[in-house]
Formats: sequence, C-alpha cells, structure tokens
Amino acid sequence: MLAIEYFEVECPEPLGAAYYKQITNVVLLDHNLLRVIHKLHVFIDPKVPIFVAVGKLKKISTRVRVGDFANVNPLEGKITLVISDETYLAPMLKIFWQRFGKDHVEQPDRFTVILYDVKADPQEIEEIVVGDPSESLYKDLIYAFRLIAPEGFRLRSEIFSNEKFSFVASENPLPENIDKIIKDKFALMGEVP
Amino acid sequence: MTLVPITYKGGIYQHDIIIDLIEDLGGYIVQKHVIAAEVVLQCFVPREDIDLIRQIAKPLFGEVIDSPLVGTEIAIVSMSLEIHHLPHPSCDIAEYVRRIGAKSNMVSLARGPGKRIAGLNDEERDVINEHDIAVYLLGNFETCIEYKWPTLRRGIDVPIVLCGGPDKETLKRIIDPPVDGYVGNVGRFMHRTKESDELEKLDEIIAEITRVLEKKRESIAKDPLSVSPARLMDLIKEQVPAIHEVTSPTPLTVQMAGLRVKLPYDTFAVDLRKIEIEDGITLGDICEVVPSRMRDYILVKILPFSETNTVI
Repeated sequence: MLAIEYFEVECPEPLGAAYYKQITNVVLLDHNLLRVIHKLHVFIDPKVPIFVAVGKLKKISTRVRVGDFANVNPLEGKITLVISDETYLAPMLKIFWQRFGKDHVEQPDRFTVILYDVKADPQEIEEIVVGDPSESLYKDLIYAFRLIAPEGFRLRSEIFSNEKFSFVASENPLPENIDKIIKDKFALMGEVP
Repeated sequence: MTLVPITYKGGIYQHDIIIDLIEDLGGYIVQKHVIAAEVVLQCFVPREDIDLIRQIAKPLFGEVIDSPLVGTEIAIVSMSLEIHHLPHPSCDIAEYVRRIGAKSNMVSLARGPGKRIAGLNDEERDVINEHDIAVYLLGNFETCIEYKWPTLRRGIDVPIVLCGGPDKETLKRIIDPPVDGYVGNVGRFMHRTKESDELEKLDEIIAEITRVLEKKRESIAKDPLSVSPARLMDLIKEQVPAIHEVTSPTPLTVQMAGLRVKLPYDTFAVDLRKIEIEDGITLGDICEVVPSRMRDYILVKILPFSETNTVI
C-alpha cells in the first residue's frame, strides 16, 4: 500500500519538479513523517518566486503508554519494568516520581525500573500515558517543509490545523491572492481548506 | 624535464625507498598521508621516470596512478552553509575531488541562496580568486540560475565550472557570457551520492574540472613560470623552520601558479622574500608575496618568464 494517497509536485519547469519530488520524498522519509501525511500537493513557481505545500494529515492515535515499550512484571511486592526503548524513559520516571514518590522508584540500570510498595496494579501501570509525539508533530512538519522549500524563502505563512495544513514561503512579500492559491491547490487534491 | 602529477599508494613498509627515489629523480612530494598501514604520496615526477617508479614499487605492491589534480587548489562554491546544501551535494563533491589529489576548499556564500536576494561580497570574491578554479554548485531551477548568475560571477577571474539542476544544454543556453565548464543534472539534492549513476555524475564533474585545468596548464606552459611551485615548497620547508610547527593538514598548499603559505603575513613575509633560490636570485625577485584574504596566510604568486626573464 502506498503511504501517501496523493503526492504531486507542480512546477512550470518539469525537471525542477522531478528534483523537488525527490527532495520532498527524501526529507519526509528521513524525518519519519510519511506515515502521518495522507495527501500532499507541492507547488513551486521560481518566476514569482513562491513555494506552496498543502496537504491532509492522517488521523493516528499516537499516545505512548508504558505498556508500549516496557514489560511490567509484578513479583513479591515489587513491580519490575523491563524497558525496550529508552525514548520515553525520562518522562516515565518523572511521572512515577510524582505519583509514587522517589522512595518507591529505583532504577538499577539503563533498562530496568523497579517500583516498591506501590498500590497500583500492573494493568494500571501499563496504561499510564507518558508522551504524545503528535504534540511536536506540527513543529516537525514545519521544520521539514523549511528544508524542502528552496533556501532563501524566508517569508513564510503556515496554517496547521487538526487535519489540514498549508505552508507558503517566498523571498518576496507573499502575494495578496495567497488564500485563493491555497484553495486552488486544495481543490486539485479534491479537498477544501 | 616535464614534471607530471601522480599519486603513489602502497604499504608503509619501505616506503622511504620510494620517497628517496622520487627526490633523487628530481621530483617533489606535495603531500604525504599515512593512513593505518598505507601511505599515499601525492607528487610531481619527471614524465620519463614513471615507469622506473612503477618498476621499483612493484615488489612493494605499490601502485602509481595518474592524478591530474595534484598540485591544484579548488574552490567548491556552495550557496550557503545551511542543511539545504550540506552535506549533500557540497561535501560529496569536495570529498570526491580530494580523493584524486586536489586540495579543495569549500567557500560558502553569506548571501548565496534565493533568487533576487543572492549576492557575493568582496571577501568571498577575493577568496575564490585565490584558487585555481571555482566549482559553483547551483540549484534546480533554470529561472533562478539565469537570474542570479551575473551577480555570483561578478569579479571572478579564475576559470569556472558550473553545476546545476537543468541539463547541460540548458545551462549553456542561459549562461551568457559562457563559462569554462558545465555539468548538468547536479542541482540541490538531499541524499548521499552512492548509486552508480550519481557516482558517474561525480566522475563527470572531475572530468570537466580536469579538462578546464588542462587548458589552464597549457596557457601557463606558453609563458612558463620562473620557478616550479613544488620546488618553492621544498625550499620554504628547508629554510623556514616555523612551517613545521603549523598544525594545518597542508601548511604549504601548492597551486598551479603559486603557493599558499599558512604562516602569518606580518611576521614571515620579509623572511620569505629573502629566501635564496639559486645564484643569488631570491624568492622576492621572481614572486609576488601578498597577504591572503584567507585568515592571515601568505599567498606567493610566481611571476611568468615574460616578466622576470629568468627560469630556474
């Protein structure tokens, strides 16, 4: 299955469009963002010059729970957690300290956390939410599009909402009819902004 | 005796035999790299003695390769130091050129990117002009290249090889007046060059640089230099001990018609001018010693025969 349902790069120069399609693909892939994008239309006109990217995001549940990256084993009054991925270790420890107190949380090595005398049962601990990558999703997307857009296009306008986004950049003040351009590009994907 | 640039690659064991041989034959070693148990020598040797070196290197499993870019300093002009152009393609190309013997410096412009806003300041212009050749790496759009090129080339008097996204014919069509070399289909990209077609493109850039430099070499040969830059390098090494204290990888960078000496100008320029080359002729007589725009280095420009009436 194709990761993105609709992906087009539109440009008056066909060769330039082909290069920018490759750049867009590489950057989104490198930043692990292809999985969140459902539709994407990029429009570049070097004559104006202007760079427009409009798209639709996928709805994904991205909340990370303790159970997603740790094995929770209760044993003789203590609960041992074996961590497989350290990414969310720090926020997890912070939550444990707040909830159970530092006296009850011990970390003997990088991949093990032991909870002593806690009143929660293992299922409850597995359900604790420790992070939500979608919080930084918009920041990541804006960063990625700044990389994709030709350098020097420093005047930008970004609109990111729950499902749809638009990113416009130019080296000159943005044209007044920018809303219409965005609307037209959304229409090409069969969407409305 | 014509000296030709070669690279010697071999084991570290008995490599001093090769060094002695090259020196005895009247050749010069421009750079020596020792990498683990391997030695890479970039040198100039007499054309007729290459076979002799090959013969002596054979029992040592040494390899002698023609490398036309040894003894040249190349400016790879990148539009900026942003992630948009680095490390790909700027570093890929700079590194590839280095592999075959050239000394490449990356020159990144302060205001290179964009279309209308692109510019080149006097320091950048002077630094680029201190090199043997400038390789400009431009973007993907022909409109932008056509628009910004007159600004970027203003005041550059060294040969230029232009790399850009559009194909070679388009580049030739939009650049007026023409530059010395063009390589098409190498614009901005954001992945490592490792596929075979991308490596072929890098080879094409090398071929274009070599062709342009060969032309420059021919024009220098018509009015030969008063002294060979490699010989000057050896003399400075002998007579200016401070050069051995410099920690830079190439304290003396050989160029086609000169030398970059990585010592402070104010302290060493006078000593440098006084160096005697032969029969009372000093370095100051046949060279211009000027401050470089790169840090506080010294630039030695060797004058041609027509100006000095001496060849040594």
